[in-house]
Amino acid sequence: MKKRFVSLMMAGALTATALVGCGSSSGSGSDASSDSGKKDENPTAKAVDASKEGDNELSVYAWDAGFNIPALKAAEKAYQKKNPDFKLNIVETADSTEVQNRIILAGNAGDYSTLPDITLFQDHGIHQYTTNYPDVWKSVGDKDGEWDQFSQEKLSYSTINKKHYGYPVDNGAVIFAYRTDILEQCGYTMDDVTGITWDQWLEVGKTVHEKTGKYLLSMDNSGNDLPYMMLQAEGISQFKDGKASLTKNDKIEKIFEVLQKAKDNGSLLLCNSWSDYTDQSIQGDQVAGVMNGNWIIPTMQKVKENSGKWAITTLPTLSGEEGYASNGGSSLYITAACKGKKADLAKDFLHYTFGGGDGAVETYDAALTEGGVISTFAPAGKSDVYSKGVEFFENQPIYQTIVEYGTHVKEVEQSDYHYDLRTNVNTAITNLTQKDKSKRPTVKDALKEAEETTNAKMEADGQ
Amino acid sequence: MNNMGINIQKKQQRAGWFFLAPAALLIFVMNFYPMFQAFMMSLKTGVGKNMHFTTVPFFNYTRMFSDKIFKQSIGNTFFYLIIQVPVMLILAILLAQILNNKDLKFRGLFRTMVFLPCATSLVSYSLIFKSLFATRGLMNEIFIKLGIFKDYYNFLGDPWSAKIIIIIALLWRWTGYNMVFYLAGLQNIEYSVYEAAKIDGANGWKTFWHITVPLLKPTIIMTFIMSINGTLQLFDESVNLTNGGPANTSITMSHYIYNNSFSGTNVPNFGYASAMSFFVFILVGILAFINLKVGDSRD
Repeated sequence: MKKRFVSLMMAGALTATALVGCGSSSGSGSDASSDSGKKDENPTAKAVDASKEGDNELSVYAWDAGFNIPALKAAEKAYQKKNPDFKLNIVETADSTEVQNRIILAGNAGDYSTLPDITLFQDHGIHQYTTNYPDVWKSVGDKDGEWDQFSQEKLSYSTINKKHYGYPVDNGAVIFAYRTDILEQCGYTMDDVTGITWDQWLEVGKTVHEKTGKYLLSMDNSGNDLPYMMLQAEGISQFKDGKASLTKNDKIEKIFEVLQKAKDNGSLLLCNSWSDYTDQSIQGDQVAGVMNGNWIIPTMQKVKENSGKWAITTLPTLSGEEGYASNGGSSLYITAACKGKKADLAKDFLHYTFGGGDGAVETYDAALTEGGVISTFAPAGKSDVYSKGVEFFENQPIYQTIVEYGTHVKEVEQSDYHYDLRTNVNTAITNLTQKDKSKRPTVKDALKEAEETTNAKMEADGQ
Repeated sequence: MNNMGINIQKKQQRAGWFFLAPAALLIFVMNFYPMFQAFMMSLKTGVGKNMHFTTVPFFNYTRMFSDKIFKQSIGNTFFYLIIQVPVMLILAILLAQILNNKDLKFRGLFRTMVFLPCATSLVSYSLIFKSLFATRGLMNEIFIKLGIFKDYYNFLGDPWSAKIIIIIALLWRWTGYNMVFYLAGLQNIEYSVYEAAKIDGANGWKTFWHITVPLLKPTIIMTFIMSINGTLQLFDESVNLTNGGPANTSITMSHYIYNNSFSGTNVPNFGYASAMSFFVFILVGILAFINLKVGDSRD
């Protein structure tokens, strides 16, 4: 009897190991190894059990140890003045995508208890996620922050169906930074690139490329944000009444013509990936200009020998007015896992710090000095920390300038399909800029294709 | 006393079922049940939490044929399949033939070297190829120093060269793997058969074509099915080497399915993604069936 039992156990163990073995055997191609590779070196957040925390503790998901996390630490410190025993457990995630994946996981399972009390979330994604997972986040509309003091454009992301959800953290205001030494070499000054039309800009770009071999602008063409920023500076959205709309506005067509010309005359470098964009084009010193959300500044500052050679200004536009845009950035949201007294604590904490309460200036000042996080909160922009000149940018008080830029950004229609459209617009740009000019579609056709593909997906998803 | 009624055969049968049961149960719970669930899911639509059955039955299945990106991904996958699999298998069989030569010195060393790429992880080798062929990567530098290129060439930024580089990467990674199967197959062929052929005056090509290939047929069919299956599910290279780009010109079916379910930038549409997975499943089934039929020597 005993023997039989032992052999049964062995058989069981064998089948178990055989099954495990099956999982790792491979043909040629897709294995389980794919998901273990990419993010292993980065920290991976553990699921949080919000119910096991003390009453005076909050947990939060956030990414980027050099940026968002110092900002949260600053907020914790500021709030401890009001509530000395308060503790904030910051759970670092590998990137913003990991937070999104965790929301998907909890949302599809219908179990929000694995989420922390607060999550940081990408501004461009929040609309789509609140539409599709309506009860993941709690509205904070009933708590009045001093919302008037914030950039209205920033708040437009976190306001969904007139309800307000998020507390803004950073500022996505777009800067156009130029290398003044290179401009000078080509006979230009910063005034020559401020408040100009894109056609004038193309001339400058051509001269710079011919004289120095450098590009006046570069962008990651696997996630090209240029059209979004350029169109926002015109006050135009790529969406109209909830649908992708690229063909009905001549200005959109003109912007894409600018991109095409810029690529052809050597003003624009399109990179294959984000890392090519940051590591090769910017840090590899291939460019004389950078246009992106101001969070790109730490990337630029890594090239120490270029310190003092950069200056920032606004975007060119089609008409020659100074252009203002915003790209990227994130806000803090209270999740459904945060209940009862905890929810009150979370609201109070966020209101006091990021939401414009008594600790806001202190929080934002520390966030700037520790992590380079620039606020959209107008009073913070007036503090001493913000008005300091920055050596890297010829002692320009760039932080103050950026907060000011942020207040000028026009609100444009946002959509759940922001990233879908961006992918399809990328395809359009790639086709419009391919080497063999005879194969290029017309701008109109390329835009029509991108519009149709996006709208087809919208319709199919809505079936 | 009841036991006397059961004869030995029945007893053995019962033991057989007993041994089979745990494995069968586990396979059922972990494989077949999820497959059934995936099929049910493929009939639903809606993103995020709002999943519901489609009003038009099999809507997801008709949707994929009007989805331009999915059609492109099918085209890309078959491009890889048609170019890469034959080239790889021919290379593998030739290498196996060379490395099976008894008089070759350092045979073990060469075999190890050819097989070694298979020991690298798919992600890491994709990333290495990515940096090799980057615009300022090693390959560009070499070509420029040798005077073949005048200017840096953006390999991964051009639709054609991006696909070719994926194929080169695949060849590097998988040729050795298939070679090992052929080597094993070759060891099973009696050397006396070759000697007899030699006496009959057959040259190297003839012995290869008339002896090696027919005797290796089962192995060839197996490697074919495995390679087709693997290529149809190609994922890591597309994601890590080119990220499907430029403009989705190198995206594979699995990569597109992944983008629809786990990309993170978008809320997933699991229903549509499972429908596409079933399409890939059916394709693999059909191709494997054709392969088996073509290779079947019985009448």
